[in-house]
Amino acid sequence: MQDIVKEDDILLEVRNISLSFGGVKALEDVSFDIRKGEVRAIIGPNGAGKSSMLNVINGFYHPQEGQIWFNGQLRNRMKPHQVAKLGIARTFQNIALFKGMSTLDNLMTGRYIKMHSNLFAQMIWKGPAQREEIEHRQKVEEIIDFLKIQSIRKTPVGKLPYGMQKRVELGRALAAESKLLLLDEPMAGMNLEEKEDMCRFVLDVNEQFGTTIALIEHDMGVVMDISNRVVVLDYGKKLADGSPDEVRNNAAVIDAYLGVSHD
Amino acid sequence: MFYRESGDFKTSYIQDQQIFPILQDRVFVIAVIAFAFLVVPFLINDYWEKSVLLPVLIWSLAAIGLNILTGYCGQVSLGTGGFMAVGAYASYKFTTAFPELNMFIIVLLSGGVTAMVGVLFGLPSLRIKGFYLAVATLASQFFLIWLFNKVPWFYNYSASGQINAPERFVAGIAVTGPNAPPWATYLFCLILVVVLALIAKNLTRGRFGRSWMAIRDMDIAAEIIGVAPLKAKLSAFSISSFYIGIAGALFFLVYLGAVEPTEAFGIDKSFLVLFMIIIGGLGSILGSFIGAAFMFLMPVLIKNILVNGLGWSTDIVAHLIFMIVGGLIMFFLIVEPHGLAQLWRVTKEKLRLWPFPH
Repeated sequence: MQDIVKEDDILLEVRNISLSFGGVKALEDVSFDIRKGEVRAIIGPNGAGKSSMLNVINGFYHPQEGQIWFNGQLRNRMKPHQVAKLGIARTFQNIALFKGMSTLDNLMTGRYIKMHSNLFAQMIWKGPAQREEIEHRQKVEEIIDFLKIQSIRKTPVGKLPYGMQKRVELGRALAAESKLLLLDEPMAGMNLEEKEDMCRFVLDVNEQFGTTIALIEHDMGVVMDISNRVVVLDYGKKLADGSPDEVRNNAAVIDAYLGVSHD
Repeated sequence: MFYRESGDFKTSYIQDQQIFPILQDRVFVIAVIAFAFLVVPFLINDYWEKSVLLPVLIWSLAAIGLNILTGYCGQVSLGTGGFMAVGAYASYKFTTAFPELNMFIIVLLSGGVTAMVGVLFGLPSLRIKGFYLAVATLASQFFLIWLFNKVPWFYNYSASGQINAPERFVAGIAVTGPNAPPWATYLFCLILVVVLALIAKNLTRGRFGRSWMAIRDMDIAAEIIGVAPLKAKLSAFSISSFYIGIAGALFFLVYLGAVEPTEAFGIDKSFLVLFMIIIGGLGSILGSFIGAAFMFLMPVLIKNILVNGLGWSTDIVAHLIFMIVGGLIMFFLIVEPHGLAQLWRVTKEKLRLWPFPH
């Protein structure tokens, strides 16, 4: 039974989140949870409030109402960089890489919160700063191997093809070794082969590193295949929540996607 | 033929992280630094000191400073002249108040004061971006110059309103004032520039530099990675101002000797340094040097050729220089919008495969 879940199995829970911009209600009374170690999909038609939800979790938007519980603790109003320190990483719908930097530097930047050497150590370089740099370089190289992007290590990411950029962005999010990974349309605009690769990476991340993943995706085939549970949003409201099969057969979801005949 | 990257394999991360990964580069740079320290002091004369070496070194330092802020952190600033003035006036106050203090310490302290002022004027950057920030920093330029003109305490109530560099010594040798020998002032600046350039390189290739570049390239993504924009931007402002302040202090103490703020640190200086980093290459320490040398030496070179070589009259040449330098700037920006340092990088890329194009 999926419904019997111990309290500490839940990594993140949003309770009664309402978010509006002026008169526009982006989210209305949305609640769901993400369990440790699962792949959680958030789906819904365009403008349903999926990305807004991620932005709320990330701390970019502050909901007018509702609570966010992370790791069993009520989270106060936080800025995005504080949320990052809690252990939430993310990728963006339209790639948000550091275009002027190489793949390697992008991934190293991903480890920013893990690095602590101070200004003076950095100025001198030899010693603590260099040791730290090498230590983290090893971690980054592991991710580079995992994602099979060795050949583009030193290439400025602005020059990479789209699919590769998506992969580097996933790598940057992985570099933070976060507890929760939010993926905003990781497969958008990819061809079948690239999608399959990306699915494999997402599942591998989930299984090998034990990272909990929440992803937004429009490709229903992908969603149904890789996710453990699915939450459906429409017009800022939660329509359905459950296993892929439950959601697939839910009348409200079918209506939202296919339209309702008014007879 | 011998200069290339291929075949130069790295077997450890330390080797891979070197400032100059290519062996020939390392040898060349060490040779240049050795030449600058060991040979140039014996050859230097007044002309080379005052017209070429000192200004290029000092402007390079200012360019590194602005490059940290604009090139690495993406915050456009037009307040460089004002911050140089802060450095100059701070060094003046320190030299007059503490005559016994070591000159290196005085110069570094002046940089520190400028860093604090820089943070203060960097605060708006948290709210405004791009051109709007440039306009906001323009305000600091005019405010600071106005301040140094209006408040007599800054120029020690001197009748002329000018400040004059007193004669000060390092290890018994004058480095400021009219009697300072050219080699001493040159070495004084060279030591500071070499050390500070190395520090700048270290900062920009490490954790701090990456946080600045992250803010520059995509501030939203930088934030979700854990870079606090406040910390990144203000640290860039403070370190950038530190460099610019030291450049200002050297410009006043060692190079000019006497300064009137409107004249020496006007808005034209802010633009000059900005052009240096645009021409040299944004986000490149090497580019700061190339840009400073280009912007400062090109007019000197043209003047030497036309006046001394061809015997043209100085006033015609003065106007021609504006046209030629302006034309060259446009030419280089069209050929390589990312600056001369990028031109060098591209050459290296080409050489990697040479003589086979594919």
